[in-house]
Amino acid sequence: MAAPVSIAHTHVHSVRVGSGAEALVARVLSADGIAGFGFTLNLEAAVARDMAAWDALARAKGVPLHGLLGGSYRKAVNLVKDELPAIPPDWTALRKDILDGRHELLRIDPFAWGSVEMVQTIAAVAAAFDLGIALLAPNAHPWEIQYCAALAATIKGEDTKIISRKEIKEKEVSVPDQPGIGIDWPLEPSFSKIQWQR
Amino acid sequence: MVHAGSMYVIQKTERTVVEMTLENGVAGLGETWGTPDVYALGQRFAKELLGKDALNRFAFRELLGKSTYDNRFGRNGLATLAGLDLAAWDAVARSLKMPLAELIGARRRESVDVVSTLPAAILPKAGTRKDLTDHLDVPANTKLVVEFALEQARKSGFRSFKLKSAAYSPEWDWKLLNELREALPQARIRFDPNANYGAATATELCRRLDPLGLEFFEDPTGELEGIARLKAAVKTPVATNMWVVKDEHLVPAIRRQAVDVVLGDLFMWGGIDAWRRMARVSHAYGLKPALHSVYETGIATVANLHIACALAEVQYPNDSGLHFLAADVVAEDLPVKNGAMALPAGAGLGVTLDRRKLEKVTLESVEIHV
Repeated sequence: MAAPVSIAHTHVHSVRVGSGAEALVARVLSADGIAGFGFTLNLEAAVARDMAAWDALARAKGVPLHGLLGGSYRKAVNLVKDELPAIPPDWTALRKDILDGRHELLRIDPFAWGSVEMVQTIAAVAAAFDLGIALLAPNAHPWEIQYCAALAATIKGEDTKIISRKEIKEKEVSVPDQPGIGIDWPLEPSFSKIQWQR
Repeated sequence: MVHAGSMYVIQKTERTVVEMTLENGVAGLGETWGTPDVYALGQRFAKELLGKDALNRFAFRELLGKSTYDNRFGRNGLATLAGLDLAAWDAVARSLKMPLAELIGARRRESVDVVSTLPAAILPKAGTRKDLTDHLDVPANTKLVVEFALEQARKSGFRSFKLKSAAYSPEWDWKLLNELREALPQARIRFDPNANYGAATATELCRRLDPLGLEFFEDPTGELEGIARLKAAVKTPVATNMWVVKDEHLVPAIRRQAVDVVLGDLFMWGGIDAWRRMARVSHAYGLKPALHSVYETGIATVANLHIACALAEVQYPNDSGLHFLAADVVAEDLPVKNGAMALPAGAGLGVTLDRRKLEKVTLESVEIHV
């Protein structure tokens, strides 16, 4: 499910980011004229559209994403290197594996799982089973890390963290507090065109 | 006429109504149990919430503290928290100009079927426990309950009914449920003896009731073990609002395959996010979440409508006792039409306090401010 926003227009662009990778960037124009943005570095546009709808709604309401989801459990979250594979996005299998006690920490790539709502559902199940969640930023791109931080705010538990398989500088990432999902778009120099879309 | 629920007669209900005003001047409405403990705890919690960020309702749970194994206020703590939490959700939704349902998830539908509660027995006047048992000893008296159900169906189009059982005799329940099924062949009928039958008696009775195709058996017995064995022995779904009532109960119930339906009460679970998480976890493991309620004012009744409309996981009709109350505290009429209640329009809950109505039923009130 996307955010409860009345969508006037959705647009998905394919762009090449500084690293040379292809990114899909979605813009959602809400009925009240506010634009929101989402993106993905995999080739599945749905997650970018979902993110853009949440971003548009949160910007329109002047609150950070966690302000729409009920609250925030943290102001910052650790970004650490972790080479173990993320759990494949198969909900049926994951539910069963959790029940069978096969997990202690759920390594979740939110881009692969598709939506804010899906992550909220996994988080609810993880909390019930007392499991931790590690959100994978699959390419360690700064936008990915910011999106993971925005989601991490709403995930209960001391084990919540952001992980990267790539070499990164381990650090504490602040939970974005500005309206929307809090992606700092100019972080990607070749992507300054995002200004055009607003 | 007097309606006997379980082995008691409910003549009044006391509730705590909460009005929470944010710094921006927007006020939200909440409600919870009206017991002296919850009313007192509400004042204590309200004081601690002054100055806190209403956007961060997750942090409200810190009010409960933690002892070694549970929150130190027990169920009163959760219920108190739920009342304040509801007021904050409403105030935030009003501030953001969103219907509460949207803030919870989405406005997926505009109305929700509600359940008409049926008393275990209908007595001509209030009496002693002996009067009630004498009445229940006369099998022909079941027809008064059947007539009442038909009247509810005629008057408001109810399609869903909950028989509150006194669990006085399986024979009374057996006869009454058969007569209800015959009188209302299309209706959803849930049967709730409040776990007052022993597991063996309940299982035998529920097996006999299976062919009636009831909506579910609600707490036919208890505790979790008894209800799990009963569930394994019957085809009709089994629901509970007694044995799965807080976060820690959910996983054991899933593992034990103890119930089909978690009839969650907003005030037992401790607020909207707790209820929403319960619904998501239940749904993930094939359990169905549904909204439980007792005799609540228009505030909590409408809150339950918003939750039902917001979450796709909710598919059962809502419990609701509002239409049995002689008075309400909200200005809006909240009729049951065609067995359903409409989600009010507007931001937040979409209902407003009627000060005059409120004053008439107020026993005590207190203001807590900076």
